[in-house]
Amino acid sequence: MNKLPNIFVGIFVIFGSAWLGLVNYPLKNLGNLQPVPDEATGGVLPPTVSGLAVAGHKVYAANGCVECHSQQVRFAPLTTDIDKELGKRQTVARDYLREKTAFPGILRVGQDLSNYGARAGEDINAIHRHLYEPRSVNPWSNMPSYCFLYNVVKIQGQPSNEAVTGLTGPCAPKPGYEVVPTEKAKALVAYLLSLNQSYPLPESPVATAK
Amino acid sequence: MSNDLSNQPDILTAAERAQIDSSTSGAALLFFGSSAFWLVFASLFDVIGAIQLSYPCFLDGISFLTYGRVVQTATTVMAYGFATPAAIGIAVWLTARLCKVPLSHHRMLVSAGIVWNLGILVGACSILAGNSTSFALLSFPAFATPILFVSYALIAIWVLFTFNERKSGGLFVSAWFVFAAVLAFPWLFGTANALLVWNPVSAPAQPAIALWFSSGFFNLWLVPVGLAAAFYIIPKSTGLPVASSNLSLLGFWTLLLFGAWTGGAQIIGGPVPAWITSAGVAASIMMIVPALALGLNFHLTLDGHYAPVAWSPALRFIVTGIGCLVTYWILVAINSIPGVNAMTQFSDINRALYYLGHFGFFAMTAFGAIYYIVPRLTGHEWPCAKFISLHYWLAVTGFGFIVSGLILGGLIQGSALSQTIITFRSSVEFAWPFRVFAMLGSLLILASAVNFALLLIGILLETHKNQAPAFMAEREENSQEPVAV
Ligand code: HEC
Repeated sequence: MNKLPNIFVGIFVIFGSAWLGLVNYPLKNLGNLQPVPDEATGGVLPPTVSGLAVAGHKVYAANGCVECHSQQVRFAPLTTDIDKELGKRQTVARDYLREKTAFPGILRVGQDLSNYGARAGEDINAIHRHLYEPRSVNPWSNMPSYCFLYNVVKIQGQPSNEAVTGLTGPCAPKPGYEVVPTEKAKALVAYLLSLNQSYPLPESPVATAK
Repeated sequence: MSNDLSNQPDILTAAERAQIDSSTSGAALLFFGSSAFWLVFASLFDVIGAIQLSYPCFLDGISFLTYGRVVQTATTVMAYGFATPAAIGIAVWLTARLCKVPLSHHRMLVSAGIVWNLGILVGACSILAGNSTSFALLSFPAFATPILFVSYALIAIWVLFTFNERKSGGLFVSAWFVFAAVLAFPWLFGTANALLVWNPVSAPAQPAIALWFSSGFFNLWLVPVGLAAAFYIIPKSTGLPVASSNLSLLGFWTLLLFGAWTGGAQIIGGPVPAWITSAGVAASIMMIVPALALGLNFHLTLDGHYAPVAWSPALRFIVTGIGCLVTYWILVAINSIPGVNAMTQFSDINRALYYLGHFGFFAMTAFGAIYYIVPRLTGHEWPCAKFISLHYWLAVTGFGFIVSGLILGGLIQGSALSQTIITFRSSVEFAWPFRVFAMLGSLLILASAVNFALLLIGILLETHKNQAPAFMAEREENSQEPVAV
């Protein structure tokens, strides 16, 4: 007796149904999501991002930031993400429309970054300083240094107005030298600042009255 | 034998066995040898990553050794350099034995093996050089994975071809598992690469697909191959039939049915449709069924005959592996209860579960299978039983440290992350000592990997051929337990 064809059919049906549910359904439904019009500005939500931020997204992927940082705010009241001010509302599939690849992440060795752009403030130099040497900002940090995204160059005449200032301790450049961000570092910072989900979406309105 | 699911592996004569084994030997040894090499490589990167997590100044500021690239190299090479070739080696050998036909098209398999290893080399270098996709278990960039796919296609065609050629007789349960795994892998790997890596689909659709892949890679590829080895080798080395074919059947179908759906439980409350997470939670909890069916079946088979576990390397490793698998599924079920998951979701517990499944279950079971298979391919025994015993203890303490450290640390870190009054900084500081503990475990695993690779080199280069079976302990006098060859 040979029942291999029956096993084959059984396996095929089982794999096929999971494939329909977990691959085909997201593909057909989430894969066709579109931005929604933003009545206030006439633009769209989620807002489109700059080309520089798109380049920064590649730097984020290439260096495996996703191994330590998540990018998803889970819903309340099941989780405390919103109480912990990781964001004002739950992250939904449509939020990822801005990205080429979604990085929901599975670990929070570092903070969730879905709304980093909303809390980072204006000080771009501070962000560069942190990426260049995280322990110069937070001595307890175990985030790696991304100093290889910067060039240490001799100051020729006027100091560059892009140079990272305020670096102290062992990572500070020698006198007469300065730390200048590469294109990659600038792109990464633009990407980090683009991470901002403060806009409302129909399926995930911003919770009022807190 | 007329029933379809027989309880006895096979009824070959010693001469037939030897003929089949020698026909598979070249291809199987190539896969096992390269998997040992990549195991050492992956464990080395795992150690570097583990040190950096606790002592961030270690090899800091070097682009190709930055933490993110290092851990992605470690997990991806572990999955495709070690686990997958080991699984292929086991599947090829088992297929020939189960179908009772000597291997044909030997060259095709050997070329597939060489191409595969080239693919891993290209993939690993490109992650380190900064071309990672950053998808879990899919980090190899778009130009490396087609190489793997071509190589795998050759292997799968061979396996299916051999199934077609098989001598009639009942299909032993291991054949079912190998068959399912060989079909699952190209389905998973092909779909995931096509949709996420080669030509990525719109980002909102990606998380669900990525989780379908990463859970399927374990539950539908590594697990069935590991179980096929266990179902074959346990009866072979004890002379006992598998206790219950009904339990085997229940375990097989529930594993496939629920295993394919578990992914959603890793993103509860996250950006996927709620029904996908609900299905994931339900499936993860239902994984208790195959865990109990399979665990009980192995236990009933060995009940009263556990003594050989003390001296037979194959049995000792495989029984440990099965124990880890049952524990893994029970922990996954508990971890997917939404109330628990809200606290543990982004904690180190995720990493603990990864090690328990991929190392505690799969690597241990594969080691056991390799200890059983290789002497039958080379025609002589392992050079030194003491080294096998050392390998066992290094590996067990190694992943024991990692899993216990990361579960305890993860519970504390997770509760710190979820309580509003505790700062983020505390979650990093609380986790620190536990990560140091896990780092020691990674070092032990590296030592065990080197030990294993040396043993494999030893048996391949052995000049003074050892004919006495390598037992890890004295066999009891007048023991009833037969020892299979
Ligand atoms: C080893 C894990 C790890 C990796 C890898 C990592 N980080 Fe971090 N990150 C942390 C930790 C821990 C903190 C919190 C301590 C600190 O501020 O340095 C942090 C903080 C941050 C912050 C500040 C967040 C806030 O809310 O203030 C940003 C921005 C950031 N990381 C960006 C990145 C980027 C970009 C990458 C990749 C190039 C990256 N991180 C890679 C661990 C990591």
